[in-house]
Formats: sequence, C-alpha cells, structure tokens
Amino acid sequence: MLALEVRRLNKKYQGFQLKEVSFQLEKGYIMGFIGANGAGKTTTIKSILNMVHIDSGEVRVLGKSMAEHEIELKQEIGCAFGGIDFYTRSKLKTLTDVIKKFYKNWDEKTYYGYMGRFKLDENKKMSELSTGMKVKYGLALALSHGAKLLVLDEPTSGLDPVARDDLLDIFQELVADGEISILFSTHITSDLEKCADFITFIENGQIVNSAEKNEFMESYRLLNGNASQLDRVKEQLISYKINSFGFTGLIHSGDYVPSSDIRATIPSLEEIMIYFSKKEDAYV
Amino acid sequence: MFNLVVKDFKLGVSPIFLIMPLLTGALMLIPAWIYFLVPLYFCWITIPNMFGGFKAQNDLIFTAMMPVTKKDMVKARITVLVVLEILHIGIAMIFGMITLRLYPELTYYFFSPHMGFWGLCMVMLAIFNLIFIPMYYKTAYKFGKALAASLTAAMLFAGIAQWLGIRSAFLADVFNGAGADRTALQASILIAGIALFAAFTIAAYRIAVKRFLKVEIQ
Repeated sequence: MLALEVRRLNKKYQGFQLKEVSFQLEKGYIMGFIGANGAGKTTTIKSILNMVHIDSGEVRVLGKSMAEHEIELKQEIGCAFGGIDFYTRSKLKTLTDVIKKFYKNWDEKTYYGYMGRFKLDENKKMSELSTGMKVKYGLALALSHGAKLLVLDEPTSGLDPVARDDLLDIFQELVADGEISILFSTHITSDLEKCADFITFIENGQIVNSAEKNEFMESYRLLNGNASQLDRVKEQLISYKINSFGFTGLIHSGDYVPSSDIRATIPSLEEIMIYFSKKEDAYV
Repeated sequence: MFNLVVKDFKLGVSPIFLIMPLLTGALMLIPAWIYFLVPLYFCWITIPNMFGGFKAQNDLIFTAMMPVTKKDMVKARITVLVVLEILHIGIAMIFGMITLRLYPELTYYFFSPHMGFWGLCMVMLAIFNLIFIPMYYKTAYKFGKALAASLTAAMLFAGIAQWLGIRSAFLADVFNGAGADRTALQASILIAGIALFAAFTIAAYRIAVKRFLKVEIQ
C-alpha cells in the first residue's frame, strides 16, 4: 500500500514553478526528499498538506485523495517544519492540552511514553528547548495522535551531529513495524545515506529521480579523467568540473561505457546534488 | 470550531486582554467624557497587540497543520473577536450605569451612557468588523492596512454621530434629553445596533471565508 502518492503536481509562482512533480512512498519506509535551497522541497510539502493551491495534479495519502479528505487525512498525518516555531513562550503542557483536543485518536499513554523517552519536560517552554528537542516534541505529538505518515520539512537542519544521529535512529525505529512512513526533506545528504530507504531528488521544481537509495546512487557514475578523455565524454556528462589534473564529471550510468579507461566511481548523494545544480547553472 | 476558540484563548489571547474590558470600562467613570473613546480603546490596543501576537507566533501555519477546515479557522477567530467586543461593551455598560447613578445631576455635552448610546457603539463596532475582518483575511496575517482602514471608518462614524448629537436638537433630545428616559426608545436603538452588528459581522465572515480559501499558507 502506498502511504503517499504525488501525481503530476504543477504549481506556478512568479519566477518559480513545480513541474509535473510525481513520486510514491510505500508504507513502512523512509523517503528522503533532497534538493538545494529553493529547489521546491517546501513548496512540494506544502502542496501535499494542501497549504498552497496546486494548479493541477493529485496528492493521495493512504489511498485517499487529499483534496477530498483533507480533514480526515490530517488526523493521520504528523507534520513539522524545521525552523518555524509556534507559541514559543507557552509551556509544552499548555500546547499539548490545546493540540490534543483536535485529534480523535490521541493517546495519553503514548504521549507520556515518548515525552519520557525523549527526556522532554512538560513544564518547559518551547523557547527553552534545543532545536533537537523541538523536533522530538513535534514527533511526540505526531506519534501520540497515531500519525501513520510523517511529513517533515528539514527536521535535521540546525541539529548537531549527535542530535541528528539520534533522530535518525528514532526514524528507523518508527518505521520498523511497517505502520509508519516518513517523508523528510533535507539538504544534509549524509542523513539520508544513514537512514533513507528511498530518495527523491528535486531540482529547480522538477523531480530528477525518485528511486530506492542504492539504485538511485548507482544510476550515476562519477568520472575522473584527463583533458583528452573529457572531450570524448563531454556530450554525455550531466556536468563537470575542470581541475589541474583533468576533470571530474557526473554521468548517467546508461551513458557510461565501462570499457573506456576513464576512472568511474559511484557518487555520493552530495556529489549528485552538486553536479545537477551545476548543470542548471550552465543553462542560466 | 470550539477547540479553535479554546486554542486562541489559551495560546493567542493574553490574559491581559480579558482584563482590558475592566480597565477600559472603568474609563466610563470619567464624568461626561466622550464615551465613544471607551470601546475604541479595544480597537486601538487589543486588536493590534493580539493580531501581532498571532503573526509573531506563526499561528497561521500552526493552525493550518491541524485537522481543521479553513472555514472553521475564520469562524473561530471571529468568535473570539466578538466575545471580546461584547465583553468590552458589556462591562462598559455596567460602568455606565454606575456613572449615571454616581453623578445624577451631570450635564452631558457628549452622549450620555444610556442604552441608545450603546446601540451607536454597536454600530461603530459593526463598521469596524465589516472592514477589518475581510481585509485581514486577504492574507490572514497582515493586519496593518485592515486596522488603519477599519479604525478610520469606525472613528469617522463616531465623530460624525457625536457631532450630529450635539448639532441636532432632535438627536440631542433623543440621546441626552427627554428621550434618554424613554426606555422603549433607548432599547429599540440598542436592539437596532445589535442587529446591525450581527448582520455586518456575518457579512464580514462570509467575505472573509471566500478570501481565506484563496490564501496560500506560507
């Protein structure tokens, strides 16, 4: 079953547009949604949550159309926007008391369970929490109302490596029993290498690729060679950088001929992101 | 919808705004003052502070993430506004009654705080709501222009009404003269004011919902 299905989403702003954005997230998996700043990650997430009006396309959550069943589905979605704080001067206790009334499946036991596990003190104010603790509080809320799909916009941004690693472990535990699915956007690609099952890569409002993580990385090759070798493959390269030793460039695996003497490695997610953004720059 | 109202009172509306009706209401004790100023303090102080708070605390995104309809979001916010307006007027009315008994021999140059005057205050708030609410819901967070326009209109109404109340012998008689003791006349002005307040606020709600449905929550 699909936890999330985004079909041919289009949304035009002045100077930016989402074009035919499509991807699917299977139930029980973690999907990393990557892209540079301004690539369209947040706009896509806001479109999924029906916060912005899409020009065309469809979003389905747990098999149901978001446009038709928004309120019902929001009972099953937990969302968090990194870097946006709400009612920072209110105590967590006050916030929880307000929020829980909106959810029919709210479970007090689960809530206190996660508050204890995340070492969150209800008498603290939002402003007294570290960035990592804020994300954890958001997760505790989402999990206490029985969210089946977590949509998190940059939850790991601003977190130190220890807090990030801790959070990623929690994500993996959450999806372990196959009930909860997570879509999280980030530009910190190392997070995804650690915990994502699937990767969806957006660049300039368009999905470049959406696939299982290893398949995603293996669909590209990073080539290293000298100047004369560059001339041979230049046309096929997504983009390249010239350095004193020759060049480094990214190529689709399909375009790469293994018999050639150019050294090829499987790129990291970061390298894929960088070379794709360089390609965009080349057209500007 | 009820949960949203509770949310606003627990998180967005500082307790001071629930005490403000008492503090501004007490201004009614100033003998023969321009009493239109009393409910206007609500528009001058409470509205910008409260809406500034909603904006600063990202209330729009906070609320939009929860399972609530946009229509209910508008309805709840207007309910909060109306509750506060009624609190202000209601408490000021009580202080007004005290004033009438405290200084029975007073000569009023401006409107005296009889029921008819409160009817005019309801009209003033009706005008405020009709302009403020629909303008605010163009974005659902920017309140400056909406406040400037609605305050100007409300104050213009108050100014003109008060000026006419002084200049027109008929109106002076209705509000401060012999008419002030005619309970039926006074009550009917108050009821007419309340009816207009309800009608304008409902109209404002309808326009606001239409506008808010088009708002992109950023």
